[in-house]
Amino acid sequence: MFGSFLKTSQVKSPWLLHFDCGSCNGCDIETLACLTPVYDVERFGIINVGNPRHADVLVVTGTVNPRNAVVLKNLYDQMPTPKLVIAVGACGCSGGVFREAPNVLGGIDKVIPVDVYVPGCPAKPEAIMDAVVTGLAKLKGILEASK
Amino acid sequence: MNLNTLYLAVAGLVLGPLLGGLAAGVDRVVTARLQSRLGPPLLQPFYDVGKLWSKVIAPASHWQGMFVRWALVASLASDVILAAGGDILMCFFVQAASASFVALGAFCGNSPYGKLGAQRELFQLLAYEPVFMVAILCLAKAAGGFDAFSIMAAQGQPLLFKLPLIVPGLLFAVLVKLRKSPFDIAASHHMHQEVVRGVYTDYAGRDFALLEVAHWADVTVVLWICSFLWATGPLQMLITGLAFLFAALLIDNISARLTWRTMLKTVAPLTLILATANLVWLYLE
Repeated sequence: MFGSFLKTSQVKSPWLLHFDCGSCNGCDIETLACLTPVYDVERFGIINVGNPRHADVLVVTGTVNPRNAVVLKNLYDQMPTPKLVIAVGACGCSGGVFREAPNVLGGIDKVIPVDVYVPGCPAKPEAIMDAVVTGLAKLKGILEASK
Repeated sequence: MNLNTLYLAVAGLVLGPLLGGLAAGVDRVVTARLQSRLGPPLLQPFYDVGKLWSKVIAPASHWQGMFVRWALVASLASDVILAAGGDILMCFFVQAASASFVALGAFCGNSPYGKLGAQRELFQLLAYEPVFMVAILCLAKAAGGFDAFSIMAAQGQPLLFKLPLIVPGLLFAVLVKLRKSPFDIAASHHMHQEVVRGVYTDYAGRDFALLEVAHWADVTVVLWICSFLWATGPLQMLITGLAFLFAALLIDNISARLTWRTMLKTVAPLTLILATANLVWLYLE
């Protein structure tokens, strides 16, 4: 019973860490819009935290360059396992219109493994919330498979 | 010690943190409603602790685990002391020890935010402990004894009418212990503040889950002591405790955070003077 409560808890309490990896702020505004009364993601137990050691889901917006790749990897490594990564927006997914730029490595999957991709320029708040729910369904599958 | 005291102590040990967790759930829902949101389920704090418990992460320091467990033991002990009808002054000192353990654990970590938060935690202790202690002295003087049962047995006139000036002091202590604005100085409960999560920054996974449980136990003790102001029956005590909780939530939602200087130099002396005036009045009466 205690084990099943812990598994339920992991799905019902995702704390997000939002990292702007060189985004134009379009996707960041849409991500933060999820917290407003209109979308109210706290309904699902989601909290936006500022500390990687407390986070379960890493939400990354923007392209990766050689400088912020180190920071991104560092944040990912500081998060406790099990953890999810969500790439938000065209830039986060693939580098977007900046993918050919000389300082751009590409999407964030060039540096850390990504679980869910959210397309859009910028991505809609509904799509970001859907991505978190999809990520949690994936986590639930992994937890049940590990029984 | 008779068998009844043992039953009460066990009930305090189990129900103390559970009631604190429920208070945290009420806090989340009421805060959301005050901000025109729906908010999470009532049991969300329990899910959060369950989630934190199942996380795997290396501690920031080997000493932290020990301090977290001591903090939990001290917080639960303060619950047990109060439930078993023990000395409320002792309960108060044990709870102060718990807060000190949390600060000591944060000093062991590497994060500068954690260390800054730990220093602020000590400032908070310095600010609210004298006020809270004088308030407890007032309660004991008015009820005629330091043990929780003699205060709860004062069935006649509620103590509030004899102790109106300790209410600001108790509310100050509740705001600090519940980590609510304007005195959420050490732990920065809400996201993206200048010290990240302050004293809690380095704690993660199981250690953080245990600290949350310790915090729930603390909340129960503080609200319970506040409810002594109207201890004419269990229902009245519950309503008084809830009144303090809702007052704290309302103040949290309508106020910005103060600096530790304002807390230490203005609010603490002011509430201390009021509480001391009440104590002197009780002695002169």
